This record gives sequence, structure tokens and C-alpha cells, in this order.
Amino acid sequence: MANQAVPVTREPAKPVRSSFDWGKFFTYFILILGAVVAIVPFLATISISLMNLTEATSQTFIPSTPQWGNYIQAWQEADFSEFFFNSLQIALITVAGEVVFGVLAAYAFARMEFPGKNLLFGLFLATLTLPQAITWVPNFLTVSWLGKVTPLQWIDNWPALTIPFMASAFGIFLLRQFFQQIPDELWDSAQIDGAGHLRYLIQIVLPLSKAPVLILALFGFLGSWDSLAWPILVTRSLDWRPISFGLQSFLQEAGSFVHLQMAGAIITILPILVIYFFTQRQFIEAMTRSGLKG
Amino acid sequence: MSDTAIPSQTQSKATPKQTGLAIFSGRRGLKRREALLAYLFLSPAIIIIGLFGLFPLVFSAYQSTRAGLNNVVGRPDGLGQYVRAIDNLAYVLAFWLALFCLVVAIRNVNEIFATARAKEESPWRWLLPAFLSAAGLALMLWLIFTFMPGVLEIGEQLVGFTAEERNELFPQFLAEAWRAPGVSSTFYYALLAFFLSGLTYFLIQKNSKPTLRDGLYTGKWVTAVFLVILAGALIWLTFTEIQTAYAEALEEGESLAIWAQMVTISAGFVLLLLSWLVWRTAAHRDSNMQTFLRFFAAILLMVGGWVLISELPVVIAEGDEDWWISLRTTIFYVIGALPAELFFGLVLATMLYQEIKAKGLFRMIYFLPYITPAVGAAAVFKVLFSGNPTGTVNILLASLGLEPLRWLNEPSGVNQLIGQSLNFTVPEWAAGPSLALVVAIIFGIWKYTGYNVVFFLAGLGNISREYYEAASMDGAGRWAQFRHITLPLLSPITYFLTIFGIIGTFKAFNTIFVLRTGAALGTMDTASLVIFDAFNRDTRIGYAAALGIILLLVILSATALLDRFAKGRVFYG
Amino acid sequence: MSKKYIKWFMLLALIVPMFLVACGGSTEEAVNDAVDAVEEVADDVAAEVEQAAEEVADTAEEVMDTAEEAAPAEEEAAPAEEEAAAEDMGPCAPATDGPLAGVDPRGQTVVWWHNHSGGREELLIEIINDYNETNECGITIEPLNQGGYNDIRDAVNASIASGEVPAALVVGYQNDQAFYQLNDTLVDLNEYLNDPTWGLSAEEQAAFYQSFFNQSIHVAFDDQRLGFPPNRSMEMLHVNMSYLRDLGYDAPPTTPEEFVEMSCAAAAASESGVGGYVLREDASALAAWTFAYGGNVLSEDGTEYVYNSDATVAAMTMLQELANPGEDGLVCAYLFDGFPNPEVANRNALFSMGSSSGIPFYVGDFNTVAEEAGSEADEYAVAAIPHTTADPVMNVYGGDVMIVKTTPEQQLAAWQFVKWFTSPEPHARWVEASNYFPTNAAAVEYLGDYNEQNPVWATALDLLPYGIFEPQLISYQSVRDAASEAYLAIVVQGADVQSTLDELTETANELQAELLEEMGG
Repeated sequence: MANQAVPVTREPAKPVRSSFDWGKFFTYFILILGAVVAIVPFLATISISLMNLTEATSQTFIPSTPQWGNYIQAWQEADFSEFFFNSLQIALITVAGEVVFGVLAAYAFARMEFPGKNLLFGLFLATLTLPQAITWVPNFLTVSWLGKVTPLQWIDNWPALTIPFMASAFGIFLLRQFFQQIPDELWDSAQIDGAGHLRYLIQIVLPLSKAPVLILALFGFLGSWDSLAWPILVTRSLDWRPISFGLQSFLQEAGSFVHLQMAGAIITILPILVIYFFTQRQFIEAMTRSGLKG
Repeated sequence: MSDTAIPSQTQSKATPKQTGLAIFSGRRGLKRREALLAYLFLSPAIIIIGLFGLFPLVFSAYQSTRAGLNNVVGRPDGLGQYVRAIDNLAYVLAFWLALFCLVVAIRNVNEIFATARAKEESPWRWLLPAFLSAAGLALMLWLIFTFMPGVLEIGEQLVGFTAEERNELFPQFLAEAWRAPGVSSTFYYALLAFFLSGLTYFLIQKNSKPTLRDGLYTGKWVTAVFLVILAGALIWLTFTEIQTAYAEALEEGESLAIWAQMVTISAGFVLLLLSWLVWRTAAHRDSNMQTFLRFFAAILLMVGGWVLISELPVVIAEGDEDWWISLRTTIFYVIGALPAELFFGLVLATMLYQEIKAKGLFRMIYFLPYITPAVGAAAVFKVLFSGNPTGTVNILLASLGLEPLRWLNEPSGVNQLIGQSLNFTVPEWAAGPSLALVVAIIFGIWKYTGYNVVFFLAGLGNISREYYEAASMDGAGRWAQFRHITLPLLSPITYFLTIFGIIGTFKAFNTIFVLRTGAALGTMDTASLVIFDAFNRDTRIGYAAALGIILLLVILSATALLDRFAKGRVFYG
Repeated sequence: MSKKYIKWFMLLALIVPMFLVACGGSTEEAVNDAVDAVEEVADDVAAEVEQAAEEVADTAEEVMDTAEEAAPAEEEAAPAEEEAAAEDMGPCAPATDGPLAGVDPRGQTVVWWHNHSGGREELLIEIINDYNETNECGITIEPLNQGGYNDIRDAVNASIASGEVPAALVVGYQNDQAFYQLNDTLVDLNEYLNDPTWGLSAEEQAAFYQSFFNQSIHVAFDDQRLGFPPNRSMEMLHVNMSYLRDLGYDAPPTTPEEFVEMSCAAAAASESGVGGYVLREDASALAAWTFAYGGNVLSEDGTEYVYNSDATVAAMTMLQELANPGEDGLVCAYLFDGFPNPEVANRNALFSMGSSSGIPFYVGDFNTVAEEAGSEADEYAVAAIPHTTADPVMNVYGGDVMIVKTTPEQQLAAWQFVKWFTSPEPHARWVEASNYFPTNAAAVEYLGDYNEQNPVWATALDLLPYGIFEPQLISYQSVRDAASEAYLAIVVQGADVQSTLDELTETANELQAELLEEMGG
């Protein structure tokens, strides 16, 4: 897949294969610089998480002897395991809804004509511009009322935690941008084959849009994993409290023990790393496939 | 989803057999069918975004016209909350908003007539159903405002009951609120309006020769009429509010100058707008003299405009100072963080897309910051950028022989700090963002660059490599390829990232909230944080809502500007 | 294509939890899961058999027994209620007269939203479990950590606005009570406190430290008592005693002059010339210094903020001089990012200031630092804030428990629990578990050798009677932010003391006026 990428060969007319490729060097230089900036805070975190108290509060870069026990201590004190499951459940349900509803809505915006299209799109976009802090109370009212008029239990259950996030203007906009790039000829030929919109969407559009759909899923997952204020507001038991709540309590609990705080933070990042590690392959495949046009 | 029904419905179009209703047959029917299907596709999104996106918007708009502490019912306060925030500019803005609605309405009408003239048709007959529809819409909007107080009071009415009793009582109280005078009747009038609109629409359509533009006319008429109604309501509100303000001022023996201010500020902006228009046409003149004259006129107009607008500080003097400062902080944050995030994201993504080793590793590393939970990442940054001499960054500075900085605890502007080290004093107005805010900006860039990289990579994956091959054949270098192939073909994704970047950074909350320190003396408080404090700490729901609506208008104008700028520059291929 | 996605998602959904289980390795959870599973099976069996029962009665009876075994709790609860109804004279029977006549608290379940986490939460749950098992009213308290003070307030306010049932018992500060009461959310505890059947006797009431006991009586709300103090903390000076002795002093400072002298001696002794006192960037510190200088941040009638009294000006001037490098270049007070405990434990600083609830953290840090260095731990002590008054004046603060208006039965049950929780014996237990200070002086004798084991804490306890408290006006939360900023501007940025404090006073009163205007009062 790597050899499919951009300029496969330089111009054949001028085979200037000098001894040193400055362009390549520059590329690597920038890439490595970026990587260092991105990763240094991480390495620092890991380093601090392995220090003892004296080292963590003095001018030390690297612990003299790594204190692996910090992780065990953080794990035991914070009791993260239950929170992990809660967050995972919440995130998976949210993502499933977000992807399905997002794909349908984005397709309608990208490929179909209907009255009120622009108005609706503008309204969707406008909903994003309201600061989150003032949406909590009205949204709490809504889930509370929905709990009273529908058979579902909303508060302290998965609906309140997931359904409000199952459709995002962000996801719809993202997918629409990609769907719009799919050439019209495909739709024309699909119509000749007698395919309707839904079949075209599932058989042609979706396979061509793996990358954005995966991105939406991943970002939906991350957003859900990171949320804190709303889950606390709508949960009334530990059964649905997310990992960020666990981390928050632990950070308070650890007080002045910075090294334990860092160990706790690393532990909460790990599952996301694992998931990302698993999806990495899919990502590369989805993103480096050759373009659609031509 | 009823995925079994849809194919059969769409298949019927391929086969000549007409089974469906008459309104779904023919070319018109085809369009109707597509519209129906589109709304079917959209229905989950409409329901969810309607409930959890639009309702908070309506709720905030409603609350912003009310006052009260820790009270969702509150008492009516008109534009009071807005005046508290931005002083008399509130009236000016409300008036402008009304004008804007009128302008858009007139543009819609113009378009209708332009199309109609070209096709030699009369669009007037569509006005009747459109008027009825718009009236229905306006009634629905009004319904929200009449129904809301009754619904919001239910919370208080339920105090003292057990959970089970509440579940039973809620529908009852809801029904009571619905039966309150002026609520359900409004709804029925709206329904009647919609029904009559539909009826007249079909009657007119039936009695006229088939044209595919009837929908276009009706849609534009509806928008125009609705906007006129909205503008009327806004002007009425502004006018009565100003009258009340004058009456109150008279009672207290103060003098008010709202009208004068309104005229001054509006005239100032009109002059600026004119100046810009003249300036734009100046370049296209043939003779130098004409160009020069036009430039001269533009500059004169601009000066005049600025003189009038310099009245602005007086107009907003009584407003909330914290709010203005927070808006300035927000703009610092947006300008500091967004372009850098986009630029670095694009650079790294393009480099990463080349033929290089360890791609996966790089990609993983770039993405690390984004996937870190904000709480954890902030804890890390607080340690790294600690103001103590033992902080990681300060150790680095020390190893370079530099003085340690106070980072997140530093409320002085960066320009002041630079000035200090060069031994001259920077005036207050040029202080720039505080060092503490700069750390927040760095945090933002660090966290979101990888996010942009991912999107750009996905965008790059969509570009056919054949373009590059062809360009290589023509002897285009790397830069030329980047400039003429990559950039234009990436423009949809760039556009997307910029729009959401603007929205995201303007209402940035998390990244700043987790880093904010007391020692920064409020120099890190962006608009969202001020709103948060008003809402959560002070429970001033109405005031926070008003601030939220103002921020919304700011963001919408910024995105609209960007949209204008992007028009024709985004290339969908 | 889409199948591949589904597979992939399912794989993910399977692998990750497995990975987590493997990492988590919590056997307790596994057992719980197993129990759940068994119960589920039992329920299923019961349901199936119910259908079969119509046909084969004998078999049905047998299996119904199994199902009943699966739910023994319900079985037990029902007869208990019946018994209680039979003889209405037992303990906890409703009063026959008085304002609370006929209200029966028995068998109620009361949810308590608190803010305690970690070790404190575990011990709290233990105490509550004991109450649930032993109380004669059959009241069940369900404690739940509902986040911090702000989260609790948000949850209560949102619940009230929507008509959701909030917890009957919540934790919060005194100015939160004012916000709640705007919506008439809280119960006036006077009604319960003075009730002949359910209240406390005059003697019992007198046992409480009166200033905390009456702290939650709100003049603005017709002298209603909106909260009850379960515990208190105090703003104190934390001292590294060994370091102090090495510097040639044998006791913590009692006057500001001594404090300045000792701080600067520590700064002189340190290599960098920076040392002494770790500044605290909190409004409580500003209030505490003002109190120690014999002033107050509230006017006499309790309606206005006064941040520019002579006491505050003197205290801030002292701190500003301490934090600015003197002629000798010494910085005797400095701002530290993060918790100051390790600074004091490491001998980077001699003093720090903070809540007494931090005492166990200081003890822990002193021990850890010594352990890691392989030396003997420095001696740690707390002291009163150095004062110009004859006796120390201490800033005492802490959240209250409040009873939310639910049903009369729930409210009474919640009160029963509050009464028990603050009665001497359980109160002493909570004090030991939490390291907070008691609010009921009668609890002290139940503390046993806790005092001896925690000498530092015991010294602090002696200062409790000198406690007064910060303002509890409705605007205090936002005023705190403004005060903290002014304090930092003076001490760190070197702003002019008098003008900054004048400005702060003005801002604070404006904030109060703003909220009152918004209230419509």
C-alpha cells in the first residue's frame, strides 16, 4: 500500500539521483520533529508515573529506579475496572447510533433533493454553536420528561447517556463532504441497474466511504469516552458512571502524589490505545486506497 | 428503518407500472417521492438533533428574555439581559437583525421575480399558500413561547410527590399546561393554516399548467413571508423595549440617547460598507483618474465610518466588562490556535502521505494527544508547564540558561513579557494574550493537530494518484503538484475542518477549563467560561442564555463570512 | 462489506472487555456476576413455571419455592411492615400530636448525595451500613458519591426544574442553601430540631459548637435553618517542626512578626534564597488572615462585603512584603503550583496554609519523603494562624447536610438519620474515619485514644472553639473568585494593596447587588 502513495516516480527525463535526497531528509526532519513534540508530554507522563514522591517534586527527568508499583497502587485505589465497562458500553451504543443515523442523514443531504434542505442544514449547524454549559439543563429537562412519557427509563440508564449524542451535525457534515465527492456517474449507472437510494447507499457509497465512517466511529468513541459533566448529571448510581468520573475522583484522592495521578491517567488512556492499535490496520487500508475519480 | 418498503417504492419508478398514489406519479411525483425518502432518511437525525440540539437553542432564546435566579420559569425581562451584557448595542443589534431578515426576504422575492420573468410566468398565485404556511410556522414559533412557561412550571408542581406519583402526574400537568388559554388554540390555528396552505396549493397547482418551478416559488415565498413576520416581531420588540427604557429614564431623571446611538452606529457601518463597495469597484476602472477618485472616496467614507463607530465604546460602556474581555480572549485563542492546528495538520499529513518508512508509527504518535482524555492530558500539562522552577519546561529553560517562567500562573501579556526582557514597556492595549492563555493555546494545538492530520489523510486518500502521475509527466515539481492538485482537491476537507474549527475554538471550553488557574487572574476566561460561570456558579440562567445567544450570533457571522470566502474556492470535483 | 464491519465491531466488543477483565482481575465482580446470573436463571425458571402451573400444580409449587428463595429480601420486608402496622406503639411510631403528627418514617429509603470519595467514602459506607442494619425505624440510607459540591448542586437544581426526584439528603455549602431556597427546595430543619417527638433536647442541642450549629440559619429566608453540620474543617498553618527547630526556634509562630521572622530565616537558610511560606491562592486564606488580624470581610449587619478594612490591608501588606524580594534578596513567601505538602515535607518551605482536612496528606508526605530518603521523618505540626488578637481567631468551614423537600415520610426519615449521624458515638466514628472536626462537642469523649494517636490533629481540635466563619451571602461563590484574584494580584503581581482591596470591595458588593437584582428582590 505504501507504494501506491503519491509521486511514485520522479520525472523519468531527469534521473537526478544525487547521493543525498534533500527532500526526503526534510520530510523526515519535519515528521520526526512533529512526533517528538507530540510524544514528549507522553514520555514525561510515563517518566513521572514511575517516580517516587521526592523525584516527582524535584528537578528530575528520569526516575532512578522505575516504581512499577505506582501502577498497581493506582489501579487498586482507583478501582477503575467497573468504570471501564460502563464507558465501553456507553461508547459502543453511542457510536453505533451515530454511524447509522449519520450515514442516512448525510446521504440525504449529499445526494437527494428535498424542500427545506438548506434551512435544515443551517439549523443543524446552528445547534453546534451553543456553548455546552447552557445545554445541560434543557437537555436534562428533555431526558427527564422523556422518561416520564415513554416506557424507557432514561435517567440513570443508557438512553440518557447515549441517545442525545447519536446524531451529531458534525458527523453528518463530515460524511456529507465525502459523499459529495463520489462521482455522479456511479449514481447514474446504479439507476440503470434499477437500484434505489438505499441500495446505492449500502452497496456503492458506503464501501467507498470507509475512511470517513471509521473516523466518525473513532471520534464518536473518543468523545463519549471523554465526557464527564453530562454523565454525572444523569446518573444516579455507580452502574453507569464512566471512566472519566473514576479518573476525576482518583485525581482528587491522590492529592499531592503527582506520580500516582500520572499512573492513573496512563491507565485510563490504555484501552483507547488498544482500540486504536486494533483499528490502525483498517485505517491505513481505508485511507491509502486509490482515489475515486479518473 | 423500513428498508423493505423503500426499494419497492423506488423500483416502481423504473417499471412503468403506477401503483402509488396519484400525487407520487409523474415527474412531480418523482420529486415528491425523493423528498419523502430523504425525510425518512433524516428522521432519526431530525428527532435527535431536534430534541437535544434545537430544543436547547429555543430554550435559551426563551430564557434570554427572562430574569430570575436559579429559576427556569423566571419573570419576563424583554431585552434586559442583553442590555446587561452589551448595553445599548443590544437594541442596535436587534434592529440590524430585523433589517437583515428584511434584506434576505427582499432578495428572495427578487429571485422569484427574476426566475418568473425569464420563464414568463406569474409567481403571484403561489403567494397565498406560502403566506398561510409562513403564518403557520410563525404560530408554531409563538406556540413554543406560550407553552414553555406552563411546561417549565411542572417541575415545581411535582415537588413533594414520590417518583411513581410524579410519573402519573406529569402527563396530567402537561395536559393542563396544554389546555391553558392561548396554547392549544394557537396550535390548532397553526394546523388550520397548514391545512389551508396545502389545500390552496393543490387547487392552484391543479388549475395551472404543469411547471416544475412551483415548489421553488412556494419555498422562496414562504421564506420571505416568514422573515418579514420575524423582522416585524423583532422591530416591535426593540421599539417597545426602547420605549420602556426611555420611560424609566424619564422617571429617574436621566437622559438616554438610544435612538441617537442607533443612528450613529448604523450610519457608521453603512458608510464602512459603502466604502468597501467603492473600493472593490475601483480596481476595475479603466482610467487612472477614476481609480484614484474612487479610492479617495472610499477612504473618505471609511474615515467617516470610523468616526461614527468610535461612538461604540460609549454605547457599550455600561455592559459587562468581563464579557467583552472574554470575547477578546476568545479571539486571541481562535487566532492563536486554529490556523496553527490546520497548518501543522496539513503539513504533517502531506508528508505522511509520501513514501516513507514507519508510517503507522508516526500516525499513531500524532494521534496520541487527541485520544488522551482531557482531564489526564491537562494534569500532564500542568506538571510540564508548572510555574515552579522544578517544572519540566522550566528545567529545559534553565538548561538553556534562561530564567524560569510562571506559565499558567502568569497573567501578563506575552508582548509585555517580551518587552520586559528587552527592557522597554509595552502599553496595556498591546499586551497581547497572557502567557497563561498561550499555554492553553499550545495545549489546544498539541491536542488538535493530530485530529486534523487524520482528516487530511482521509482527504488525501480520496485524491486519485493519476492526477499526480499526469502532473509528473508534465514535469510539475512537488510544490507545483501540492499547489495545483493537493490543495484544491483537499478543499472540501479543509473547508469542513475550518468551519468546525471556528465553531470549536470559539466555544472552546474543556481545554481551557481544565487548565485555568486563579493566578492567571481571569486572563484565560474565554466566552464559554464566562457563560459557564454565569450559568453554573451564579445560576443566572437568563443572563447566561443571553450571552450564549450573543456568542451564537458571533460564531454564525464568523462561519457565514468564511462561507462567503470559501464560495467558489471549495472544489468538489 | 457491511458484514465485515459487524464482525469487526463484535470482535472489538469482545476483545476489549476480555482484556479488561484480564487486567482487572477482580474476583469480587466475577462472583457478583455469577450471582446475578443465577438469580436471573431463577427468575426465568419462576416465570416459565408460572405458565406450567396451570397444568401441573404440584410441580409449580415446588419451583415457586425456588423462585422465592431467589428473592428473600422482599419476603422479609413485607412482614416487617405488617408487624409495625399492627402495634403502632413501637419505637419510631408516628407522633400523635405536634406538627409532625402521623408522619411515619419507618421503612423509608433515603438517598444521600455526598461528595466523599476514596477511603473516606468506604468508611462512610461502613458507618451507614451499620445504621441500616441496626436502626429501629427500618430506614435505609443509600449513599452515593454524586461528584463534587458543584455537581451535586447542578443535579439538585436540574432535578427540581424537571420534576425528577432529587436525593432526600444532599451535601452542600451554606451559600448553596440560599440558591436552593430561592426555589423553596429545602426543608426548614427547625421544624424537626424542636419537635417534641423527633427533635433534640435543649441539652443535646447545647452540646454542639454553637457557631457551627447556628451557621445555617439564614436571615434572608426568615431565619430558616437550612442545613445541619456533620463536620467542619479549619484553615491552619502547617509547619515542619524539625526544620523550625533546626533554624533555632522551638515553637510555631503566634504573632505575624514571629511568622515573618521565621519565614525569612528559612529563606535565608535555603540555597536559592526562596523559602519560608508557601502562599495559598484561595479566598479562604484571605479571610483567615483578616480574621487573625482581628477583622472581618463582612459588615457588622452581615449584608455587605468589607474587604478593605484595616485588618485586611495590614495582613495583605505583610504578605506582599514577604513575597517580594527584600533588600537582602530573600523571598520569604512564594507561590507554588500544585499541592504545597511535599514542599513542606521536603524542607523547601517551612510553612504552608490550608485546610485541616489535609492533615493526613501531610502526614503521608512527611513519611513518604523520609522513607524515600532513608532517613527519619521530620516532625509535622499544625498551629493557629499567627494573630494580632489576644486569642487566635480561626476560619472554620465545611459543607452541611440538607434535607430536600420530598415526601413528609422521607424528610422525617432523613432527619432521623442526620440526628443519629451527629449524635456523639457515630459522630466520633465519622470524625475518626474522615479526619474532619466534630461539630458535636459530646463526640470528643468517644474519640478514645484517637487524640493520642494523632497528636497533630489533637492540637488542631483545641483551636476549634475559636472558630468563626466566612460570609454566606448568595454571591459568595463568585466573590470568592474575585477575592482570590485580588489576593494574587497583590501578593504576586505587587499591586497596590489599598486600591486593589477598595476595588475588590466594590466588585464584591456589585456582584451581590447584581444577583439580588436578578432575583428581583
